[in-house]
Amino acid sequence: MTHRSRSRPRRQLAVALALLAVLVAACDPASSTALVAQGLEPQADGWRGLPLDRERTMPDVTLSTTDGDPVALDEAFLGTPTLLFFGYTSCPDICPVHLASIASAMDTARVRYDALDVVFVSVDPERDTPQRIEEFLANFDRRMVGLTGELDVVEDALTQLDLPGPVVEGPDPRGEGDLIGHPAQVIGFDAQGRALRVWPFGARRADWVADLPRIVEEWSS
Amino acid sequence: MNVAWWCSSTPGQIWTWRYTPFLGVWVVAATFIGGYVLAHRRAGEPLDRRLTRRFVAGVVALMVVSEWPIGQLGVGYLATVGIARYVVYTFVAAPLLVAGLPTWLVDRWFPLASRRGRLLSVLTRWPIALLLFNLVLFATHVPVTIDTLKVTQVGSFAVDVLHLSAAVLWWWPAIRREPERNAIHEPIRAFYLFATSVLMFVPAAFLTFSPLPLYGLYELAPPLWLGFDPVMDQQAAGIMMNVIGGLVLWGIIATLFLRWAKEQTDDDEQVRRARDARVLERMAALADEERSATARPESTDQPTRPARP
Repeated sequence: MTHRSRSRPRRQLAVALALLAVLVAACDPASSTALVAQGLEPQADGWRGLPLDRERTMPDVTLSTTDGDPVALDEAFLGTPTLLFFGYTSCPDICPVHLASIASAMDTARVRYDALDVVFVSVDPERDTPQRIEEFLANFDRRMVGLTGELDVVEDALTQLDLPGPVVEGPDPRGEGDLIGHPAQVIGFDAQGRALRVWPFGARRADWVADLPRIVEEWSS
Repeated sequence: MNVAWWCSSTPGQIWTWRYTPFLGVWVVAATFIGGYVLAHRRAGEPLDRRLTRRFVAGVVALMVVSEWPIGQLGVGYLATVGIARYVVYTFVAAPLLVAGLPTWLVDRWFPLASRRGRLLSVLTRWPIALLLFNLVLFATHVPVTIDTLKVTQVGSFAVDVLHLSAAVLWWWPAIRREPERNAIHEPIRAFYLFATSVLMFVPAAFLTFSPLPLYGLYELAPPLWLGFDPVMDQQAAGIMMNVIGGLVLWGIIATLFLRWAKEQTDDDEQVRRARDARVLERMAALADEERSATARPESTDQPTRPARP
């Protein structure tokens, strides 16, 4: 066999592999948008949650509980550290993942709900009836607080926290109405109502298990 | 319609029951079956039905767990399905593929004197194959590997190729019966398979008993249903690896052992029959001799033999 005829199959193999690599790269939507699923990096001070660069306080707005009682956010949660999260019950990803992580971590870290309030505020008042919010939170823990209000009130609360308002993103691929864009972070307030840290989407249970006892210990009045 | 090369996790992608074909799965299946049939044609060998059935069953098993929806669910949403894929790759597809290769085809693809053949010969020596297989088992179930590689199609494909290759090498000495191809026999074969079934307990135990989700990929994936708990999913994955993987492996160990025991019994039976036939032959010869001795006149000086029992 000549050198030429021996090298031909190798060349063909190299071309085939190159084509395969191009094909794989071409139809790989994940490679450019992949989130790192390895949780939050510990900060220099040991916290997993990220510190806020500017001081913010609990928004001065009045919302309603699922029982219909009015709640002044900046007053009702004074005296207890609070985790505040804006979401909606039809949310397919961020909301259920965050709430499941927090509920499970509260259990693992043995943090009681009377030592730390977990508050969910709906950004989709049109679909999120009080009953629907209750049913949604029951999937994680009934002791979480569900709040709702007029959309402009919710937007006001978000503005006070320098967060963007809810945006309709288009139809839900599962056929459940529209997807709504909303802030993906959980905001942590101390007992005086000061926002101290945020946990962006990507925070894992291990991160919460590390931070929750510190929240109770260091942020209570 | 969405088309992709291979199943991978796309963080934040909501699960829907909309078919997404994975081209790579079809290309791999066509290459496997096409290569098998073409090799037979080129060699002018007829397809052996029994072997072809095994080989095709192996390819179908690969396809079922790599194509949508199982491939996608296993790589991006449920650890249980992810481990089920591994179990099928390792304990169903790989042994079927190895068992489906006729000896002449192995000689054709991996001639003993060639570099390929020598490499295969080294990698399928049972201590090396055992080490390689378990190395791949442990390395590919470490969280950082899963969370880094399975979020890209290339990485996910590479992990699957690694699983299948390691499993084929591992099954090789246990299934191939050619002595020059590193075939091992009982009791070493039983020990060889048993050792892996024990080592598999280690990653399975981590999955089952970890109080927190190990893999960020599954933990942060959009849940398939509300109230879905990644820890429960992980525990089920550990049980899947331990119980289902263990059951399949133990079933294969038991089958191979029983087959070996039957071969041993058959061999013993053959030896016993041959010995009995020799004894009967000898007895008949003696009886003939005795008969001919009594028929002779008494005046002969030959001594008489004592009667045998």
